[in-house]
Amino acid sequence: MSKNNIRLMQGNEACASGALAAGVSFFGGYPITPSTEIAELLARELPKNGGHFIQMEDEIASIAAVIGASVAGAKSMTATSGPGFSLMQENLGYAYMTEVPCVVVNVQRGGPSTGLPTKVSQSDTMQAKWGTHGDYFPIVLSASSVQECFDMSVRAFNLSEKYHSPVILLLDEVLGHMREKIRIPEKDEVQLIERCKPTVPPEWFQPFELTPTHISPMAGYGNGYRFHYTGLTHDPFGFPTGKPSEIREKLDKLMLKITQNVDDICTHKEEFLEDSHIVVIAYGITARVAQQAVRIARHRRFKVGLFQPETIWPFPEKALKRALEHADLAIVAELNQGQLIHEVSRIARSKVKVQGVFRYDGEIMTPTEIVNKIREAN
Amino acid sequence: MYQGIIVAGFGGQGVISMGIMLAYAGMVDNKHVTFFPAYGAEMRGGTANCSVIVSTDEVDSPVVGQPDSLLVMNEPSFAKFEPTIRPGGRLFINTSLVSSKSKRKDIQVIDVPANKVAEEIGTLKIANMVMAGALIKHTGAIARDAIIKSLGIVYSRAKPEMLKMNETAIKRGGEF
Repeated sequence: MSKNNIRLMQGNEACASGALAAGVSFFGGYPITPSTEIAELLARELPKNGGHFIQMEDEIASIAAVIGASVAGAKSMTATSGPGFSLMQENLGYAYMTEVPCVVVNVQRGGPSTGLPTKVSQSDTMQAKWGTHGDYFPIVLSASSVQECFDMSVRAFNLSEKYHSPVILLLDEVLGHMREKIRIPEKDEVQLIERCKPTVPPEWFQPFELTPTHISPMAGYGNGYRFHYTGLTHDPFGFPTGKPSEIREKLDKLMLKITQNVDDICTHKEEFLEDSHIVVIAYGITARVAQQAVRIARHRRFKVGLFQPETIWPFPEKALKRALEHADLAIVAELNQGQLIHEVSRIARSKVKVQGVFRYDGEIMTPTEIVNKIREAN
Repeated sequence: MYQGIIVAGFGGQGVISMGIMLAYAGMVDNKHVTFFPAYGAEMRGGTANCSVIVSTDEVDSPVVGQPDSLLVMNEPSFAKFEPTIRPGGRLFINTSLVSSKSKRKDIQVIDVPANKVAEEIGTLKIANMVMAGALIKHTGAIARDAIIKSLGIVYSRAKPEMLKMNETAIKRGGEF
């Protein structure tokens, strides 16, 4: 049924369709439950659109291929789940260091290790932020509906192209396999951002030039521009440096290009916050459950609202501070043993009490669990 | 109108397939729908179930904690889900494979010998559609035309005679 572009689609399919709408032209990956359908769909569709799909020997090679393709000028991505995401961490660090745009989708399942291949979890929240070593500032998005799988997939590419950085899109097993009605936007409704390219002649080009925006124009391979990429800390020319001033400049560049733009990067949704003493904070699939819980609780005259970060890293700190201004209690609901709650506690300081509703038995939380917590607090 | 449905059985019984079918038909019928499956690592033989919500309003949580309708295709599913049915809800039992009887007085039980009917029509594969037929007849959640229209789209690779049998299965299911 294509009437008004309305479709019944799975989260994974929507994510892959969003990537196609964003202009993905390379996918390198290794199939893993529950993310496999993303690879399946792109294996079928990419060659039809002049793109390339390669099934690599493992996830380490997958992310390496994705970085290489991006350096050659392609919008590139991979999709994986916890075990594969762990394997990708080393090369993800390389991509942060060399400022290579790419999108990594992690359809989360239970862990640690092989964990629960077919069961839901949100336990990679912190790995997405701190997975690789060193100081770096990742952009991580968390989708809560099939429509958001599509929209955030587009946004992930736009952010990666704008800030020359990997962007992590977190889904989860339920969302990946869930089917819902979605509206696929027309081509001209999808706004795309492309990486900034050098305008100077090749002999003046510095691949990591210091600029006021902290983003350096990026030349593709084979366009006459010479550049050198290394995981070693490098100077504006891309060559290893040991000079303290240059080391500091490089790390500041990586930090500031993100931290100076949090208002552009961070988005969130909120509901019923005007008069709420209790704020439920939830992201990903749990935000849907929380939404219903909040509606049930309000029906019973509890003054409770919902705060849903769509960008979880960097965390929408200013918005949460505003949301908690008149609150006594923040309830953080997540499918893990308590990860994002630490960030919320940090932002809430001692002014607002913070409590968690955690579920980590492979099942999705029910609205009742959150409603009970709200009731206990009153 | 809000109808939370759980379909449960063995992998290979068309449990997931029926769930997708119901969600699609709900969409064709201009309802809001969600579907999500739960299954083990194996393709066949393990347990499989799925949650489908058909609603006139937008669906917040996709979780069906207390189903309005439960379709059980095998014995283990009966034991697992029968106690969760919302009071006043409906239990559809595939009596060809489930011999347990519900002791609950607060639910309506609809017995459907789905395997037997499916084999009478021509193939065991359509037992799921016999159950679906009974479901839409009793709940009215989805128009029968919508589900029949959706058959050819969801099972686009099926042969015409197979689609015809599916259609018959839905109609026969509505007789229970």
